[in-house]
Amino acid sequence: MMTEKEDRVSADVAGLAAAVERVAADLAIAEEPAGFAQALEGEASPDQRRD
Amino acid sequence: MTDWTIQSLAREITARKISPVEATQACLERIARLDGRLHAFITVDADGALAAARALETELAAGRSRGPLHGVPLAYKDLCHVPGLPTSCGTKTREYFTSPVECTAAARLRDAGAVTLGKLNMTELAMGPFGDNAHHGDVHNPWRPGHCSGGSSSGSAAAVAAGFALATLGSDTGGSIRLPAACCGVVGLKPTYGRVSRAGAMPLSWSMDHLGPLARTVSDAALILEVVAGHDPHDATSSRRGVPYYQRLLDGPIAGLRVGVPENYYFDEIDPEMAAAVRAAADVLGGLGALVAPVRVPDPRTLSDIGNVIGRSESAALHTRLARERPHELQPAMRARLEIGFHISAHDYLQALRLRSRLAREFIAEVFAEVDALVVPVIPEPAPALEAVKAGSVDEFVARMGRFSRLTRPFNTLGLPALAVPCGFSSDGRPLALQIVGRAFDEATTLRLGHAYQRATTWHLEGPRL
Repeated sequence: MMTEKEDRVSADVAGLAAAVERVAADLAIAEEPAGFAQALEGEASPDQRRD
Repeated sequence: MTDWTIQSLAREITARKISPVEATQACLERIARLDGRLHAFITVDADGALAAARALETELAAGRSRGPLHGVPLAYKDLCHVPGLPTSCGTKTREYFTSPVECTAAARLRDAGAVTLGKLNMTELAMGPFGDNAHHGDVHNPWRPGHCSGGSSSGSAAAVAAGFALATLGSDTGGSIRLPAACCGVVGLKPTYGRVSRAGAMPLSWSMDHLGPLARTVSDAALILEVVAGHDPHDATSSRRGVPYYQRLLDGPIAGLRVGVPENYYFDEIDPEMAAAVRAAADVLGGLGALVAPVRVPDPRTLSDIGNVIGRSESAALHTRLARERPHELQPAMRARLEIGFHISAHDYLQALRLRSRLAREFIAEVFAEVDALVVPVIPEPAPALEAVKAGSVDEFVARMGRFSRLTRPFNTLGLPALAVPCGFSSDGRPLALQIVGRAFDEATTLRLGHAYQRATTWHLEGPRL
């Protein structure tokens, strides 16, 4: 028998897992976490650099 | 001294109208007189500050100036490791966080001539948006004691608003610089992920943490950013990209810049005065020549959910010992929030990290093809009463936390620069604020828009009566 606290944690975790599931279905195999830094670094224009 | 900005104080110090010691004493006296009501500081280092100020004064007398921060009193969120001072991170444990390296951002400011006044109060473990703290006292809003200062960099914002320090450092994992800045009527900048080193600062989530400045003006925030930004060998995530001279770029024209005002999500269920003030601020930018237009943005709820999976997982991993060995020391809401992270699967965490890359790429491609910056609210309502946000069950409290930070969290997931700027007051005198969000590593444009807004308005010149 789960306590009220365990129920709450389970519900929150299930909600987050469902959110991931909803958008992760079509992730390509090649997509990896390092793509995040690349997305940011590739965004700004070179003329913003000073060195 | 509540009228001081870094720039105005720097002019007076350069002109020898005021000395670093006098400026530091003025701040310390104000803290001693007023902080008993606000609780902005956890540690005031009066002796250390005065010793540093005297040394800087000697340098000036010898004709050596370190630049515009020479002798300027600053203070740091109590998650920055400053040698010789304890770092509680808002927990019950006086020295909760130790680091083999000094906080790089604070060290760079000190080397640039800043005086360290002390360490600032914060929400426990940087895990809440209201500024409440059962261990060190709730931080009260200088504009309206009894109301939230915002969090988690609560003391960082209150100290600037109250005139205790000229600027401060805060950290932002889900809005923790911008939320208190908005509540307290000061400027707060969350830079691009990787723009400012996090070395020597307590991590809450290594994927989502950012350090940044809080100050009276956008111009002062630009100056602080210029000093603290840039690669740091102690932080592998810090970018090697060069640092622009942000202050020199502030006065560039904003005519022709495309400013998007989202027509979905960001104005839903927002306090009417807040929404009107933010829209009016966008109109001011339009009056200065910016091309203001409505825009649709990818669903921010997905960004928040993905950010929550990442942030909760990492914070539980980082603070396992406290949560497992001394859970009774944590406030119930923080314990509840940490607990979730222990139950997220490795699969979901990794999928969330992979999704973050895609969502960031898509957001950048879709939104910044149409606009150069977004203007949105920071907080859904002006600073609420402390007792009101703390009332009820832990579940209700945690749910309020989520609602209050729902406008800032998406930009932590995206890692984009986001600037909170005061834009008025509610009919009962609580600060209102807008958020300007820019391209990755384009803090210069974000700051330029904020600076143009402040040159056209006077909200930032107001100060609370304490």
